Amino acid sequence: MHPDGPAVRLRGVSKRFGKRIAVSDLDLEVPRGVVCGLLGPNGSGKTTTIRMIMGILHPDEGSVSLFGGDPDLVRRARVGYLPEERGVYRKMKCLDLIIFLGEIRGVSRAEARRRGGDGLDRLGLAGWADRKVEDLSKGMQQKVQFIATVIHGPELLILDEPFSGLDPLNQDVLEEIVLDFRARGTTILFSTHLMDQAERLCERVCLISNARKVLDADLAELKASERKGVIALEFSGPDHWIGGPEVARVERADGGLHLILTEGGDHQAILRRGVEAGAEILRFDLVEPRLHEIFVRHAGADAAGDAGAPLATSGRREGQPAPVSGGAR
Amino acid sequence: MMWRNVRAVVRREYLQRVRSKWFVISTVAAPLFMVGLFVLPIYFAESSERAEREVAVVDATGVLYDRLAADLEEGGWRVQRVEWSSTAQVELERRAELGEIGGFVILDERTLSAGEATFYSLSRPNSLRRLTMRSAIARAAMAHALEERGVDAASMLRGGDLRVELLSEAGTGTEDPRFIVAYAGAFFLYMVILIYAVAVMRATLEEKTSRIVEVVISSMQPWHLMLGKIVGVAGVSFTQMGVWLVSGVLLTTLGLPSLIAAQPDALQLVDLADVLPGAGLLTLFLGFFVFGFFMYSGLYAAVGAMCSTEEEAQQAQFPLVMLLVVPIIFVLPVIESPNTPMATGLSLFPLFTPILMWGRIAGGGVPAWQIALSFVLMAASVLAIAWVAGRIYKTGILMTGKRPTLPELWRWVREA
Repeated sequence: MHPDGPAVRLRGVSKRFGKRIAVSDLDLEVPRGVVCGLLGPNGSGKTTTIRMIMGILHPDEGSVSLFGGDPDLVRRARVGYLPEERGVYRKMKCLDLIIFLGEIRGVSRAEARRRGGDGLDRLGLAGWADRKVEDLSKGMQQKVQFIATVIHGPELLILDEPFSGLDPLNQDVLEEIVLDFRARGTTILFSTHLMDQAERLCERVCLISNARKVLDADLAELKASERKGVIALEFSGPDHWIGGPEVARVERADGGLHLILTEGGDHQAILRRGVEAGAEILRFDLVEPRLHEIFVRHAGADAAGDAGAPLATSGRREGQPAPVSGGAR
Repeated sequence: MMWRNVRAVVRREYLQRVRSKWFVISTVAAPLFMVGLFVLPIYFAESSERAEREVAVVDATGVLYDRLAADLEEGGWRVQRVEWSSTAQVELERRAELGEIGGFVILDERTLSAGEATFYSLSRPNSLRRLTMRSAIARAAMAHALEERGVDAASMLRGGDLRVELLSEAGTGTEDPRFIVAYAGAFFLYMVILIYAVAVMRATLEEKTSRIVEVVISSMQPWHLMLGKIVGVAGVSFTQMGVWLVSGVLLTTLGLPSLIAAQPDALQLVDLADVLPGAGLLTLFLGFFVFGFFMYSGLYAAVGAMCSTEEEAQQAQFPLVMLLVVPIIFVLPVIESPNTPMATGLSLFPLFTPILMWGRIAGGGVPAWQIALSFVLMAASVLAIAWVAGRIYKTGILMTGKRPTLPELWRWVREA
């Protein structure tokens, strides 16, 4: 084992189910202490990837290592896992469930009881410790599961769609907790199809589409390198000058427009045209592209259609009607 | 490390089950039900008919009363003697109407020669009462007739005695053949093995369908989880049977005598104590249960792991139920002739052993070496089943979708 190996490393990992290829030749590296988002539309292979990291599925090809060593040896004590399908023992009392899940990961019962009680207090479930899990709402169950996931103080958290099924208020609570863990140096790998969330939380992103990795980079660097591509525009007056060979697409965003430029498109040309046309330019800003836009650029609009669905405000293309009537076409 | 895991699973499984309402109800209700089944009818029958059991006997023959009275008392009647006179019948009718006696019987010449008599009563006595009365009269008449000829009537009427001297060494069992113990025990084994093995299957299936298993398996090996489940359920079964055993022992040692003291008429219950198995048989019974449970629970755990829904599991467990039903079908002939080659062969097949070997032992006697051999074979089977079932479990527990075909199962076993 290399004590300084990355928290997660996948090398050439592939997985097939019958004829369907779920994950194809995937390389992924999550350095220690980093929050990494695994992004992609439904069915793109996120959960399969995570299950292979957790040893629930075995890759047909390729290798998995955690902290530079054999994953089977470190997983139990150093990794916390929240699966997408969140099972519970419904008849158990909340605290008992947490203690049990701590116990099988090597935490003593007394310690698990103490930590579990703290966790319940912290997430506003103090009065529910002795209630059966089945009496809790889904959101509350999810909190209990999260407490159990971190009961053994893992160095690496692997969360599969941790925010799905939570109302906005609780999403914020969970986000805060994740940020808290990040501040303490915990490595976090989580999958999501919510680009907004990923943008807020991640330092690194890995985009998957159709079983293949399309992008794997540091989010800040990625945004910087993609910066040239998007102009935020506000103006009054004529608008015929907007369209041109440099502009690939126009989107509504932030109360104005986003012009997405073609590869190597010259933004100065657009500005000149606008001035000549007599428009009053209120804002002309080279912006950081949104993660969604980057994803669309790399994976194609079809793939992003799923992944971007919840992002109606920034994601819908100019001139396209609401999704309902759009689907009928 | 491993044992801590397994211990956590065992503890969870055990406590969850023992704390459940169903466990408490079934544990307490079963013995109560058994007690009720035996005791209550007798108790009620005895206590509700006090006046009716009062009977006067008019013995016109002059020789039957003593014998008959003893017999009737044993059968639950209270007898009083009334001398024969021309007014006796009228007087007794009046007393019956007043409710002093339940009825009266008159014995005459026909009683001596044919065992016939007339019972006068306001209400029709129940069939059991009629039967005890009738047979008591017939026995008394017969005993009288036999003794006149110098025959030992008491011995004859008991049914004589047939001593059995075995010429072969086959039957070395120390206990006498006791059909009820053999048959009821075999059936009880069938039930408890099935109930608890199915409990293991359900627990496995529940973990699988609720998806909790994904979290658990990421923290421990599937094989440990399976072991923990089985041991946990075994613990529950021991607790339950322990409660039954203790309450059974208390019932026979304390309950029965006090019942008899309070209700002398229930004396016939004492025969029951003769039917109860001794300590040796009980130990063997527990042995058969333990091995039977571990064999079948392994198989049932594998079935639970390979299915995704309750319905699927119902179908998939069919072969296993058959394996338990076959010995039940054979248990009668095996008890009756425990040392035929067929009985020997079938009872040595490990999956049939618990029920059939029990039937043979309780039913008559089996050479000790065969009992020893059957336990060795069962122990080997437990290990073999654990190996195969553990592999099926490991692959199946995380599978969703269609139930595997037999070739697929075989691949799981080979590749796991």
